[in-house]
Formats: sequence, C-alpha cells, structure tokens
Amino acid sequence: MDNQKRITCIVCPLSCKILVKTNKKRIELVHGNKCKKGIEYARSEALDPRRMLTSTVLVKYGDWPLVSVKSSKPIPKDIIYKVLNEIKKISISAPVKMGQIIISNVAGTNINIIATKNIKKEREVDYI
Amino acid sequence: MRNFHVAIIGSGVVGSAIAWELSKYKISVVVFEKGSDVCSGASKANSGVIHSGINSPNNSLKAKFCVDGNKMFQSLSDELNIPLRWIGKYVIAKTQDEIKKLQELENVGKRNKVPGLKIHTGSEVNKKETNVDCEAALWVPTAGITLPYQFNIALAENAAINNVNFFLETEVIDLKKKDENFIITTNKGEFQSNIVVNSTGVNCGKIVEMVEEPNFNIYPCRGEYLVLDKNYSSLVNSMIYQVPQSDMGVLGIHITPTIEGNILLGPSAEFIDDSNDKRNTKDMMNRLIKEAKVILPSLPDDAIINAYSGIRCKISPPEKGGWADYRIEESKKTPDLLNLLGIESPGLTAAPAIAQHITEIISKKIEIIKKSNHKIRRFPNKRFAEMSIIEQSELISKDPRWGRIICRCENITEAEVIQALSNPLNSRTIASVKYRCRAGMGRCQGGFCTQHIVRIMQQYFDINIKDIKLKSPKSNLFYRENKRLRK
Amino acid sequence: MNEKSVNVAIIGGGPAGLAAAISAKKNGAEQVLILERNSWLGGILPQCIHDGFGVEELGKSLTGPEYSEMYIDMVKKLKIKTMMETMVLELNKNKTIIAVNRNGIYKIKAKAIILAMGCREKTRWNAMIPGNRPSGVYTAGVAQSFINLYNIMPGKNVLILGSGDVGLIIARRLKFEGANVLGVVEILPYSSGLPRNVVQCLDDYDIPLYLNQTITSIEGKERVEQVTIAQVDKNKNPIISTERRIKCDTLLLSLGLIPENELSKKTNIDIDKQTGGPIVDQHLQTSQEGIFACGNCLQVYDTVDLLSKDAKKAGKNAVLAPDKIKNFVKVKSGKGVKYIIPQIVTKPGNIFFTLRVEKPYEIPTLVVKAGDKELMRKKLPWANPANMVEFQINVDKETIISNDLIEVMLDG
Repeated sequence: MDNQKRITCIVCPLSCKILVKTNKKRIELVHGNKCKKGIEYARSEALDPRRMLTSTVLVKYGDWPLVSVKSSKPIPKDIIYKVLNEIKKISISAPVKMGQIIISNVAGTNINIIATKNIKKEREVDYI
Repeated sequence: MRNFHVAIIGSGVVGSAIAWELSKYKISVVVFEKGSDVCSGASKANSGVIHSGINSPNNSLKAKFCVDGNKMFQSLSDELNIPLRWIGKYVIAKTQDEIKKLQELENVGKRNKVPGLKIHTGSEVNKKETNVDCEAALWVPTAGITLPYQFNIALAENAAINNVNFFLETEVIDLKKKDENFIITTNKGEFQSNIVVNSTGVNCGKIVEMVEEPNFNIYPCRGEYLVLDKNYSSLVNSMIYQVPQSDMGVLGIHITPTIEGNILLGPSAEFIDDSNDKRNTKDMMNRLIKEAKVILPSLPDDAIINAYSGIRCKISPPEKGGWADYRIEESKKTPDLLNLLGIESPGLTAAPAIAQHITEIISKKIEIIKKSNHKIRRFPNKRFAEMSIIEQSELISKDPRWGRIICRCENITEAEVIQALSNPLNSRTIASVKYRCRAGMGRCQGGFCTQHIVRIMQQYFDINIKDIKLKSPKSNLFYRENKRLRK
Repeated sequence: MNEKSVNVAIIGGGPAGLAAAISAKKNGAEQVLILERNSWLGGILPQCIHDGFGVEELGKSLTGPEYSEMYIDMVKKLKIKTMMETMVLELNKNKTIIAVNRNGIYKIKAKAIILAMGCREKTRWNAMIPGNRPSGVYTAGVAQSFINLYNIMPGKNVLILGSGDVGLIIARRLKFEGANVLGVVEILPYSSGLPRNVVQCLDDYDIPLYLNQTITSIEGKERVEQVTIAQVDKNKNPIISTERRIKCDTLLLSLGLIPENELSKKTNIDIDKQTGGPIVDQHLQTSQEGIFACGNCLQVYDTVDLLSKDAKKAGKNAVLAPDKIKNFVKVKSGKGVKYIIPQIVTKPGNIFFTLRVEKPYEIPTLVVKAGDKELMRKKLPWANPANMVEFQINVDKETIISNDLIEVMLDG
C-alpha cells in the first residue's frame, strides 16, 4: 500500500521540501532533496519519526518545585502525549541528581526519563 | 449595617485628599474604591505637574483651587515625605502669533496672582535649555512636579492609619436616600452614611444617576502619554510646553520631566465615547513622537520604554470648546450628596484645596471636632539606591533583605518590596508594589523583577498564585499552578 | 564596607561568565571571582530545558540545565569563587567594583574585569504595540521561567508574537503543558528560527505559523481578551483592511534581545549602536583597558557553543593582558553588513570575526578590504540576519600601521 509524506528537511537552513513514498516499510521514492544528508533524514522521518522529549517533573521537599527531565533516547513521535501523561502523573522527592532515572521504561518503550538538573533538599515538610 | 458619618466614593487624589482632611476630625469616614488599590483612575495617569494657575480663567474655581492648592504643596510634601521639585515651566512660542498668546497667558496669570512670570527670549531659553529652540517663552517658576501616585497613596494611607475605613475592590452599585441617611449598596454589602462625597472622576455621572436625573453630561476625553528612558533625562531641565494650538490637527506637545528622571511626552486630548477606553493608539503615539521631535530634534527613536493613558472627566462638549469650570456642590435635589464634577487638570494641584473646601461644607452639617492624636505616616520612599554606602551597610546589617536587589533597572531591594506590600491599605497587586517602591518601572518593564515579586508575595504574604493580580480585581497574572500532587 | 582584591572579576554567572572564569583560571589567574545576581549559576540555561546545546562544541545535544551544570561543576573543581544574589552597583574605570548582597556592600579591586551581563528581552513598548494594557502579556523568557522553574502556567489560550527560536520553543512547551496554543505570528515572510524548530515545535503539533503578519492591537479590560492581527506590506506596515481578531487570554512576545550594557554605559565604555554591545578589539577588550566583554552583552549569539568559545577567549586574554595599544585599525561594516566584531584590530595575526548581514542573501560574496588591498573574497551558500557568519583572516603588520580602514561587505 502506497503512502506519501511531505517532509521539511531540518538538516540545514535550505529546508528542502522532500516527498517520500513508502510501501509498507520500504522507501519507494525520495524527491526534492538537494544533498545526501536530506535522503537519510527523509527516510528516518518517513519510516520511524522520533523526537527527544524534554519536560518537567514535580519535586517534593526541594529548593525548586520542578526538576527538568529528558528522554534517554528519541521517542516515537506518535506516543509523545502518552509519555507526557506518564510524566504528569508522578512526583519525586528531593534530593535529585542529574542523570537519575525518574521513570524507567516509560510507556513500555525501554526508554527512560532522566533528570537533567540537580535539586537539593530544602525542607522537611512540603507546603505543596 | 455599618453606619458612617461620611462615605467617600472614589479614592483618586481628590477622594483621598478629602479622606485625609476628614481624618483629622472625630468623625467616622468610609471610602469605597472599586479598584484594587487607591489611585486606580486618572490620578495615576497624569503628568504629576503642580500647576501655577496661568491656564485657568480668572475668577474660576479651577484658578482658585489651583493657586490655593499650589501654595499648600510644599508643606504637604514636607509633612508626608512626598517628593516635590519646583523645576519651573517654559511655555514656548515659535511664531509671532504664538508670542502674542504668551503675552495673553502672562496677563491671565498675573490676574490670577501667579508670581514670578516672565517672558524670556529664545537665546535666554537656550542658555537653560540647550536642546530647545524657540522664538520666546514664558517662564513659570511656580510650576512643580511630584509623583502623583505616591501623593495619592500617601494621603490615603495617612487617612487609613487615622481610622478612615478603606474598602478596596468595592464598587457602589446602588445609592438610595432614606430619611436622613444614604443606603449604599456595594458588591461587598450594604452600608449607611449621613453624607456621601462623589469623587469618582469620569464615573461621577453614574453615581448621580442612582439618585436623580443628572443636570450635566460627561464627555470622556482620553489623554495618552509616552515615557522615555531615564538615559535621556538630561534632554530638558524644566517642563517644556507648546503654546495651546489653534490647529486641531496639532496636539501642542508637553514635555514633562519626572521626579525619577524619565521624561513624559503628552498628554494627547481625544474625546471618546467609552469612558473605559484607556487604549494607547498608534495614531497618538506617532503624533506625540513627531511633535516632540520638533522641539527636541535629538530625540532618538528607541527612547520609549512605556506608554499609558487616562480619561479626563469633561463636562463640556468639544463643540463648545471642551472647557468648563469645576462643579463642586451639594446636589440640589439630593441633600447631603456632595458632587465633584468635571475634576480634570489642574485636579492634582487643586486636590488639597478642594479637600479643605469639602470639609468646610461638611462642618456646616455635622459638628466636627479636631482630633488631638492625629498621626502622620511619612511615606516610606527611602531608596536604597540613593543612600550613602554607610547607610546602605547599616541597613543591611540590621536586615539582610536590604542587600537583595529585586529590580535591576532601578536597584530596588527586597526590603523595599516587602515594605510596599506591607502598606496600611493591604493592597497587594504588582501595581501596588510598583507605585510605592518603583520596582517594575524601569526599561525592562518587569522582565527581571516580576518573578521575584511573585516569589516574595508567596513567601512573605502567603498569597496564592491564583490571587496574584497585575493591577485590578480581575487582572490575574496566571492561569494556575501547573503540576500538582495527586492525592 | 568589605574589601576584596582579585585577579579577574566576572560580572555575570551565565554561560559566558562561567566559560570566561574557567578559561581565566586555566590560563593562570589565581583569584577568579564570579558575581551573579540570581541565586543560581547558569543564567538563562536552567530554564531552557530543551536540548540542542553543545552540538558543535561537544558533539552531543545537551539540555540547557545539563550544559550549564557541566560548566558549574568545572567552576567548583577549579575552586573559582562565586558571590551569589550579588548585584554590581558601580564599575569604575580603575577596575573597582561596588557590589551588594545580603552580607553587605563590597568593594572589589580587580586586575581585569570581564563583562558577561547577558541581555534582556524587548518589551511591548520597544515595538509600540497599541491597545489596552491588560495582564497576560509576557515576554517569552519570563513566561518560560514561570513554566519551567516555578511550576506556574501563565495562561490557557496563548498566542505568540515572533517566530525566532525562543518563540518556537515556548510554543511547544506550552502545548506540552496543556495550553491551547493558537499560533505564532511573524512579521517576516519566513521564520527566523532554525528549520528544525519550525518542524518540531509547530508542524508536529499543528500550531499555525502566520507569516507576513503582525499584531496591531492588544485588547482586554483587565486581562487579555483578544488581539487584532493584520497582514503587512513589503515595508512591514500593517494593511488595515486585513485586520481580524483572535480571541486569547495570553500574548507572549518574542521580539528580540537587547544586550544589557547599562553598567558599561555608566562606566563610559564605548558602545556599538549596531550590536548594542561594547566596541572590542580582537582580544575582546573594550575601550577601557583591562575590561573585557563576552556573551550576549557583547552581541546576541545564535548558539551557546560559539558564545562559550568567545567567552573562553575573553577569559584567556584577561589574564594574558595584551600590551598597551600603540596602533590599531578600525573595522567597518560595509554594504550588506549590519555589524562586525571585533570593531578594531590592534595586533597582526589570524583574526576571528563574527558578523550579521542586514537582509537575506542568496549566494553572496563576502569581501574584506584594507584600503585598496583585498584581504579576502569568499562565496557563501546563503546568508540571513538570523545566522551569524564567522570567518578568519590574516591581518598583517603593514595593515595595522597603515591605519587603513578594514571594510567588510557583501557583493551580490
């Protein structure tokens, strides 16, 4: 079954508009790129678009109410909101160390959500 | 139902001056203010000029109250600790016709007993004002500047510490005369008073309509202003006004230095339909800059850091020239309703004199006895940034919050912000902070300080995110706290 | 008053100040002191929770907090001193700083000073947007700080003015946190942000990009209720007949950044009107001997990578203290060039330049001349104001002595 996607290449500011035709999981056609890097990018965008996810998680007893987090690897584009919802549900207690795994295997992806900041413990009782 | 001798509706500069004057006597006074702080209307949106009286016709109330009020300002400023500078004004003429107008103004002024008036030649003006070119100018030494909002706030806060009751965010929605009393219905409940003072500015008609058919019309007239960066404060030393223009397309620019060092351009004068329409318009902003550049050609394009506007209460229509004298009078149809109608410029200057006049009227209705224990609260405007290093060090050693700078444009400290939020009126919006201690008035317009002021509001005053407002009852800053703990 | 003496004092503990401090220490300065006005180091980076930092410098894409944490770690390891929540009140020509914090007033004497104060955001009034003055109008950076640091949502139905990277990133962030992002409005015919961000912040989430349009009025009695938006003509003036209203409760402004140089101006350091920052030589030394400038207060950088590289240069030069300037040659921005840094060259050698062009160019030729002599002619595949151009040329002794103006311009 043929599938067509129009992709804006992001490799350089020329932003070529590339047309990709796929048949099931195979690339049939890539058209519109001005360089080779564009082909690679268009291919991965058409077959398996992924995005690095960054967000924040609620912190208890910390010197800041939030810790910034990121996905350890790019996440499939179509489950971004599912992952965001997982992140929204939880909170973590200070102290938090940069690199610490906040959620492992988020939404069954084998990808972790890790802290990107250090949060110190500030108070014994939280006012949240 | 709570009962008072006098209910003042509206706590702009006139209402607050009346409240303060009455607070010296042993009578019960209540003030209803629909805004979240006093000075929410035209009183904060003006030039801060203490007028000399040359602009008002002889024998008018405007002239009388202006000249009387002007004389009271120095001692008021000393007593309440309000900044005041007698910088003087040049009314400039660029043509021979305009010079004739100067002479007319001088004559009116002399008849109003305005002292020190003199016409200077263009080169004499240029010695004092190197950036201003003109043919001649009228020098008015008794024109001064103050911080209008601090003056208004100081009067109100002094009234408050002398037992005047202030109800903020309280709008009068109905007024009825029942026997000898007024029943005042507000959004916060009902109150009674013997006397009502209607000092609601451009809304004065709405209050009158609640009890009788008004015998006047209101013609709202908007004035827009532009505020220049402090870096340009040396462009002028005194106020520079153009002679009133006959060409309707020309505003007749006013260039007014402020106490803080910003320069104001404006106001414009535009009759509008909606008395709540306080917009800044592209047309007026462009005209203000264009006309200012005629007088100050060196004014750069990127000098503007802020704009605001206010609505004048005019009671004469543009077809009739838009000028009318103050109407300060007891209503003939509704006894004990004291109306202040058409209080526009020189309203700030006139306020203390008007307050005494209203007090006199009230004294003929109620016996008023002077208090022996009247307190004075000097306005706490001591600025860390203006202190000597020794003073600064001493303050910090007593309270470290004097060492934490919150507003980087104006170098305002955490202690000053806390002081502003601790005001006797319990007004705690971002604007309440701004008008009391200046944080947020710099060129970054709150870009740095807002997050710190919010933090202080939460930490020291337990204010909830949902209740933090910019300036008025529904001007919330935020939607809500974002992520929350699931129970 | 407390008195201190240091070798190098750095005003600002953001990425520029951190990199400069580390470089100064590594190049031999014994006492290096950072003065930072906030309670955290890293400047704006801790609230920039997205990735994309350090790609050129480190070969990996870090988030803002991770990038700054890396530098903060190094500052601690090198035992560089920091004074937090400390504001510089005055900077004197003899390199004395008066600063204040909760512990009192400090007089700090330094052999060299590095300015790293960063920048501030353009406000509504820099663009003179007419209308009411309701709550709910924020600059994008302030909104970002509330969302990412303080856990506060500034609004629900949000419109963004300005499609630079700051505007694009905040659009996505708001969407992730449940806001209804109504669109991004851009006065140019194209977004000035990275294509990657247009795709990954707008296209991915169906957030409309309104090109060739601007906001002509903000309306709302107390809080924003709606804005008026109109198309613009080729002179960027609104076409009134195209005005229409968009209901919203929040307007975020991403109008550009202004290098923060109030302190520099008070010290009478010469400022370049085109960059908004100090005029510097190739060592990043300002017109005041011993005072250097780096980071966004010198010029607004596109990437933190180049910013850090330049900041390290400033740090090194602050320690190695270049000789007294005998001759120098001025560098002029010619046709097509908005600004060029450094604005003066004081010594012969390989000089590294950064510039911005005035408008978009396709395949322009970059030409550098000294008097009649052509020093360089190079074809660029493209050039636009949003992308800083870097190049190096060798400036010889004769050029410096001859006092010929070096002119940099675009052909084509």
